Amino acid sequence: MWRRSSAESSDRFEYLQTLVTEFQDTDSEEAKEQVLANLANFAYDPKNMDYLKELQVADLFLDMLTEDNENFVEFGLGGLCNLSMDPECRDVILQSDGINLVTNCLSSQREETVLSAVTTLMNLVTPSSHSQITHPSILQCMLRFSLSESPRLRNLAAVFLQDCCSEEQVSRAQQQMEVQQTAVGIPLPKD
Amino acid sequence: MAAPVNKNDCWRVPEVYKHHEQRKVCISRPKYREGRKDKAVKVYTINLESRYLMVQGVPAIGVMTELIQLCALYGAVEEYRPLDEYPAEEFTEVYLVKFQKLTSARAAKRHMDEKSFYGGVLHVCYVPEYETVEDTRLKLQDRRGYVRRAAQYRAREREQKEAIHEEPTSSETTSPSDQIINGHIQTSDNSSAGEILNISHYSSFPPLPLPPQEHHFYGHKSQPAMIPTEDKMGTLHNVVPDTKQQQEQSSSSNQTSYNRNQGTEHRLNSNQAPAVRFVPRTTHLQNRKRKMEVTAEHSVTVPGQNEPLIGPKLPEPSKLDMEDESLNTTVGLIRNTMKQVGSVSDLKPVEKKVKPRRRI
Repeated sequence: MWRRSSAESSDRFEYLQTLVTEFQDTDSEEAKEQVLANLANFAYDPKNMDYLKELQVADLFLDMLTEDNENFVEFGLGGLCNLSMDPECRDVILQSDGINLVTNCLSSQREETVLSAVTTLMNLVTPSSHSQITHPSILQCMLRFSLSESPRLRNLAAVFLQDCCSEEQVSRAQQQMEVQQTAVGIPLPKD
Repeated sequence: MAAPVNKNDCWRVPEVYKHHEQRKVCISRPKYREGRKDKAVKVYTINLESRYLMVQGVPAIGVMTELIQLCALYGAVEEYRPLDEYPAEEFTEVYLVKFQKLTSARAAKRHMDEKSFYGGVLHVCYVPEYETVEDTRLKLQDRRGYVRRAAQYRAREREQKEAIHEEPTSSETTSPSDQIINGHIQTSDNSSAGEILNISHYSSFPPLPLPPQEHHFYGHKSQPAMIPTEDKMGTLHNVVPDTKQQQEQSSSSNQTSYNRNQGTEHRLNSNQAPAVRFVPRTTHLQNRKRKMEVTAEHSVTVPGQNEPLIGPKLPEPSKLDMEDESLNTTVGLIRNTMKQVGSVSDLKPVEKKVKPRRRI
């Protein structure tokens, strides 16, 4: 966490701004994917958080979650997964109905998308959002994921169930699942 | 139903996952966002990264020790073993290496991937599927903690700068930003820190550290001083955006909520018509340039008034007395013309259009 000179800082901000501008202006899907991935990767470095907040990149990522292009969804959710680690970005995402948008992505067929969704939901847990994120339907989804063939998904689901919910909530969800008896709901993603 | 994973299972028979594969490098990036190295289009999240690395392409000539020694340059290695079951190219071996820290694994991957090693080319990738539940939990907690600490550090820095910011500034009769910039940046007086930091308030960006003294304007990029910067991902960027492009943005056909917010709420729009989405810092630059030209004109025609200084005051050329009235008049005329020419040429570097630099 060293200080940057103002030349580098202003370069960085303007570069990010240029990326966002290109994303908005270009018609090329390929270019949009590249820029989106670029921005999502920049969101990994905490040094860029302030710039990305100013450029409202969290909203850009959230908009991607309802796109048909699966790459847009995957990269957008990756960006949100990175951004949501930061408390201020997390709050911005929560205010923009992030929980519902992210939860809808739990049914994606892309493993990376689902992994990012689970992690993002974990990051979004706050005292006020806790009850929404530990809704029985989400818990049941996580229970299914904890039985997945994918070790990464199994691990993430396990961490979610152990760290974000109480044992009573989990066992209640388990009981409800047994009653339902069918695998209705969110299918497991294909690898 | 898959059996629950316990600790011993992390060394079981590996599967070939998509994220192990090297993706094709992207060749269609425009120049301004090309990195030093061609890379694939891929997003890295904490889920993809891991303390566990897989190294493929190790020549099967008994160099395991050398490989682990190389890995150890980047951090302590906890465990390692060959992955005989993993599909490997002929005459190569695959190894699993577990680092003590994620940061070590990250550094090792970055430096060792695609590097030649005893005649072969290594392919290094993260293998988070080898993690246990506990590994994953700790990884996420560490990451969250790191990002939160970084946020707190930045917040503290901001508060410190705002505290300096509140120092009383010099009297501001004309446009504050011009007076302050023109009056102070050109001097080597470091006590102008307070005024320079005031500028960030006007340009509505978070306050930034002092610009280097050779800059003529706050935020102006003097070409020789542009140093390529590299972020953690290894991407190099050194771009000067085309301001005309940005200013020509009117409301586009893409009416997502993100765009709408940009059009109405973005703070940078304060000086421009609502239709323009971004007001890059350089438009303030252009305003100042224009104001400077006006004051420069004034200073040429009305000398000795109390105007903002543009450049360092040059020593007055010694007034030569030609001992003849007509000659003295001629000398005076020549001197005035030289002054005019001199002040105009001073402005030229300022008006120079900043071109995007080509990165090699």
